Amino acid sequence: MTTVLVEYKDVTVSFNNEDIVKKFNLKLKKGEKVLFKGKSGTGKSTLLKLLMGFTFPSLGSINFRGKSLNCDNIWEVRKNVCYISQHSDVWEGPVIDIFKEIFSYNNNAQDLDYSKIDSLMNYFNLDKNKLYQEYDSLSGGEKQRICIILAILLPREIYLLDEITSSLDNEMKSKVINYFLEQNDLTLIIASHDSQWESNNIKVIPIGE
Amino acid sequence: MDTYEISSFSLFLCLLLLLIPLLISYYIKLKLISKTLVTVARMSIQLFLVGIFLTFLFDLNNSYVNFSWILIMLVVAGYTSIKDINLKVRDLILPVAAAFFLGNVLVLLYFNHFVIRLDNLFEARYLIPIAGMFLGNSLRGNVVGLSDFFRSLKHDEMSYTNRLSFGAKKYEALMPYIRNSLLSSLQPTLASMVTIGIVTLPGMMTGLLLAGESPLLAVTYQLAIMIGIYVSTMLTVSLTLLMTIRFGFDRYGLVKQEIFSN
Repeated sequence: MTTVLVEYKDVTVSFNNEDIVKKFNLKLKKGEKVLFKGKSGTGKSTLLKLLMGFTFPSLGSINFRGKSLNCDNIWEVRKNVCYISQHSDVWEGPVIDIFKEIFSYNNNAQDLDYSKIDSLMNYFNLDKNKLYQEYDSLSGGEKQRICIILAILLPREIYLLDEITSSLDNEMKSKVINYFLEQNDLTLIIASHDSQWESNNIKVIPIGE
Repeated sequence: MDTYEISSFSLFLCLLLLLIPLLISYYIKLKLISKTLVTVARMSIQLFLVGIFLTFLFDLNNSYVNFSWILIMLVVAGYTSIKDINLKVRDLILPVAAAFFLGNVLVLLYFNHFVIRLDNLFEARYLIPIAGMFLGNSLRGNVVGLSDFFRSLKHDEMSYTNRLSFGAKKYEALMPYIRNSLLSSLQPTLASMVTIGIVTLPGMMTGLLLAGESPLLAVTYQLAIMIGIYVSTMLTVSLTLLMTIRFGFDRYGLVKQEIFSN
């Protein structure tokens, strides 16, 4: 029997007396993949941020490996979960420096695997010299792919993917989607309005209906 | 060689010079007349009181009193730098004053002992003016550094939480912000070092020259002071950043909204 990794228990989130999320329940086991489907502004991102401890429930609780999230175990969660934001304008400077910075963090202490970067760049159709360009000079789609590569390299047990394919063309979109869905071990929570994510090994949860 | 005195009459003649800015202000409707008068009056009273106070302090020259005065200067500097960037004074005054204390007093005592080689480290005539120069500069640096830090954090909080998402601890994720605000707070001190002696003769050097000291002595003092200022500014701003991060963030690593005063 696999244990429950993540659980949302009667979670309500309100801002200014308005419920963004209302009595939300979900149990997620290792390797399971869910898609939060709905229009923007329906609280999909909020649900993901709750697990990272970037926002907090007004009622209910979020559990990670059976323990309710608090200010101590949140740092443990952040070691195991990677949240890729829908905003890709979050880095600056040369792309290679971003790779170096992330792998200088204590939690990610490992040597940068350049051959792995190479093969991922190759897989996601990114020219090798993009690595030495300024992040700001990249297009929206290129930024999204760099963020995805950074996240994959970490590697994490759980990924929270927040509209990560919004600036990609259809071909690239399916490449990204396949990459994540093919890996049975990965636990995924995906927030997207895009039905391309729907496949037989993913559970679709409509949000905001 | 003695310094020429400025008599009351000479001071009056000096004030007459103010007619020039007042006239310009009148003709081009700058609306600066009352502000100029009020500011000059305020400054006169302030300086006059400081004059009396310092005379008293120098005559008394009691180490405890001198040091207490330094402590008051520290608290005022801490208060001003928090207030200036719209943070809540109550939550941060102690940590910031502590940063000023460590950043300035340590350098100050080292300076008085090893550089000037004072017999009494708390000699009013040296302690207070030098402390004033260190504090004035680290205050300016602190205001620039802190406001830069919180402005960019507020404006770009996403980059910060994004770093947390990729496994950074609080300090690792804040490092780019810390780096930038230290750079912007030290830039003016470095810039003034570059032009020193050519474009500007700083106050301390001018003071020694007017007092009849040799230019070489004035230059040596100025050099020593500039180094002291650079060190104490860097130390104070670094410590203030560490302290405000320690006290201004919650245990989830998020900035406490209640430290902003509006």
